[in-house]
Amino acid sequence: METRESTANGAGIEAVLARMDAMQEQMAYLVRRQQKQEELFSELTPILKEVLAAATDRFGELEKDGAIAFAKELLVVTRKVIQHYGPEDVRLFGDAVVKILDTVRAVTQPEVLAIVEEAGRVLQQADSAEPIGIVGMVRASRNEDVQKGMAVMMEMLKHVGHAAKAMAENKREGDSRKERLARALGPKKKKVLGVERPKAPVEKGSSEAREWAKREVRDMGPPTAGCAVPGEAPSQEAAATEMDGVGFTKDGHLADPKAWTRDLAATIAAAQGVELDGGKWKVIEFARADFEAHGASPNVRRITMGTGLATKELYTMFPKAPARTVAKIAGIPKPAGCI
Amino acid sequence: MATAIATPKRKVALICSHGGLDEAYPPLILANAARQSNIEALIFFTFWGLDVVTESKVDHLHVNLAGNPASGMPTIVAGLPGMESLAARMMKKQMEELDLPGVREMLQILDEAGAQLYACELAMNMFKRTKSDLLPQVKDVITAGDFFELSEGAQIVFT
Repeated sequence: METRESTANGAGIEAVLARMDAMQEQMAYLVRRQQKQEELFSELTPILKEVLAAATDRFGELEKDGAIAFAKELLVVTRKVIQHYGPEDVRLFGDAVVKILDTVRAVTQPEVLAIVEEAGRVLQQADSAEPIGIVGMVRASRNEDVQKGMAVMMEMLKHVGHAAKAMAENKREGDSRKERLARALGPKKKKVLGVERPKAPVEKGSSEAREWAKREVRDMGPPTAGCAVPGEAPSQEAAATEMDGVGFTKDGHLADPKAWTRDLAATIAAAQGVELDGGKWKVIEFARADFEAHGASPNVRRITMGTGLATKELYTMFPKAPARTVAKIAGIPKPAGCI
Repeated sequence: MATAIATPKRKVALICSHGGLDEAYPPLILANAARQSNIEALIFFTFWGLDVVTESKVDHLHVNLAGNPASGMPTIVAGLPGMESLAARMMKKQMEELDLPGVREMLQILDEAGAQLYACELAMNMFKRTKSDLLPQVKDVITAGDFFELSEGAQIVFT
């Protein structure tokens, strides 16, 4: 233990001595430089005096031209810039400048310049080029030079894509400020209509109803049409009015779809001025089955597509607001959607 | 349930004056919704809106994103060649997903639902079209004066 310590001390002292030697050399060097600087200063003083005098004159002229006021304004701008951007931004800017310079250097390599010059020459003669179509393009692609050019383009594209991917990843990791900037400047991915395809909850309706829907008419799948999207299956709405012990909502639909009977349907139909026959019953039954299977009342388009009826026939059967009338008679809620 | 209050018959007259795919839908959907709500509906197709009922144009309506701040696409990009048909194709795909009928089918549905479709005579002359260039659902070619006569008592909506 002790021996190891003493060796360590010995080594430490040696190191210190070596550094002091080195420092002595540096001191000597600094003194030499100081002397040289003094000489330089004495030589420069008369020149500087001349320069200052000239500069004063020049400032006077500038003042007259309004340049000083301009510079003052520039200072204000600079101050504003400082207020809004931190050292971190300046560092980022510096990095960007280095990258730009790298790019400029890469682009101005003689080989690259030769390619650009060649391309420029072709562009100058663009008026003499014959227009070609897809077939012409395919034919041209047999040319070896064109193939080479295509390979170069592909390679460039690959790198652009790679860089774009890396940039996207960087942005995701970046700090909040950068993220905000990226979000403000970067391209946005969005839906054309701003409408997402609704994923209606598929409810397990009574198997009987489902089977009927399959046998008699087309099973439409979850409803998608229109502006309104069936959210959750409309729960039992509070009854606003009551008739013969049966509750109705304030817009005239049966409050509880489960309370529906065929007799009740006939009563409602009569009140609506509709006389139910076989064809109409088929529509009513489809509406009920569709509602039970998917938890939403069908609109006109669903009814016509599901039953195979033409829109015109449906309007003839139920001339006043067909989908609503059907929903009323079928004892299901008011249909949502626009179509 | 026998509380049928006698209300005056509602009626709506829509003027369709633009020929973009996105611009054609609002009057069509409004008219359809009106018919479904037991409201009488008529649509007057004028100027570019005439394209919506022209046989050779109805299936090729485009969407113009240029100069539309809501599109979210910079105008300089939206103005590139082919962007209109690209946007139209994307919009049609979205509509298919929503099970929205196409313009041609929509017009058929409207006709069957009892909405009345009219074309503007002046626009027809301007674009050098005849009644035979139009879809069969167009009931008549009328003047602006006729339109006001037909839309008596209606709410008029310009789109």
